[in-house]
Amino acid sequence: MSPIDPRLQEALDAERDPGHLPVDLREAYALLAAATQVLKVMPPVSVASRVMAEIRQNPARVESDGPARRLIRWLGGGRAVTVRLRPVWTLALAAGLAAVLVLQWPSDGPTPGVAQGIASFVGHFPGARSVEVVGSFNNWSRGMLHLNDDDGDGIWHANAVLPAGQHEYMFVVDGENGERWVADPLAGRYVDDGFGAGQQNSLLIVRPVSAQP
Amino acid sequence: MVNDGAPDIEVVARVLGGDGEAFGILIRRYEPGLLRFATRMLGNPDAAADAVAESLVRAYRHLAQCRDPGRLRSWLYRITGNRCRSHLARRHTNDISLSDVPAPALADGSDTWAVLERGEQVALVERALAALPAEKREAFVLKHVEGMSYEEMATVTGARIPTLKMRVHRAREALLAALEEVVR
Repeated sequence: MSPIDPRLQEALDAERDPGHLPVDLREAYALLAAATQVLKVMPPVSVASRVMAEIRQNPARVESDGPARRLIRWLGGGRAVTVRLRPVWTLALAAGLAAVLVLQWPSDGPTPGVAQGIASFVGHFPGARSVEVVGSFNNWSRGMLHLNDDDGDGIWHANAVLPAGQHEYMFVVDGENGERWVADPLAGRYVDDGFGAGQQNSLLIVRPVSAQP
Repeated sequence: MVNDGAPDIEVVARVLGGDGEAFGILIRRYEPGLLRFATRMLGNPDAAADAVAESLVRAYRHLAQCRDPGRLRSWLYRITGNRCRSHLARRHTNDISLSDVPAPALADGSDTWAVLERGEQVALVERALAALPAEKREAFVLKHVEGMSYEEMATVTGARIPTLKMRVHRAREALLAALEEVVR
């Protein structure tokens, strides 16, 4: 592959009249233009009915997020609790949670494969009717990974076998004030969610069982 | 009732006000281009349909986060582009598998573009596009297929304009080389 003539690049950027190009460049221009026309053909499919069905099935509260509304929602709704601790206490809490979750992992649960690991999700959502996790590992699909709060103490948890590697995820919390997408306050790592509003997805790194001691 | 010709900002306000059905107007308006973009990015119509469906559902749920509804198209392409990148990342490569794209059945290398049948042209171009790295493929498609300005492409991709120009130029070079190898 060799660089193409700058005059051809300029013509393709609509900065030069292609009719004034030398013959060989005009042919190249025509070839690329013809290829582009091929790519412009619209796919003869539609996902409109599928999307609208999903929206109707799981109607979300879609509201403007004005400051007053956010304050009212924050005061009135269940919310994730973030506890700021000294580093040594953070380590102790993480170790404690890990110990609890390891102890609670059911022996008859799904067994991870070589390239899989066990992910534990836990969050404090008092008053929530349901909590689930959506993420890059399930195509952000609802209804696939629900958290449980069997004793009703507002602490929801679930374990899942996931492919080893890095995953993005969010909690979907359905409470008295409707549905909320919530980043995991215990995740520790976050990435921009790609919607351009500065919101963040939680980040999870699953290590393969084969790499665990 | 908002009509199909209403500006994006009006339709978005309607949806945010509780008229979820009005989102159908935005789907009808942008779905064809999004499907075309995703299909060119992923090289597979089924995967593209999944990516666009997921993107539109997420866009609906996060519509309040769209800071500038007057530039809704860019926002939707940004979400769809991110979904496509995630899809490619799950395949542990940013590239389309060439096995997803049928090889053109050309008789020999002496054919000219004009004598190729339509199906041969499509197969040839899709395969040449699929051979590009994802970033260059995305830049070329947004510029030449979706007809975006470099400014809008920067909004969609998050990349700087000089970077995007370089990607488009390199994509043109690679595509031209691939096409000329076959049809000249």
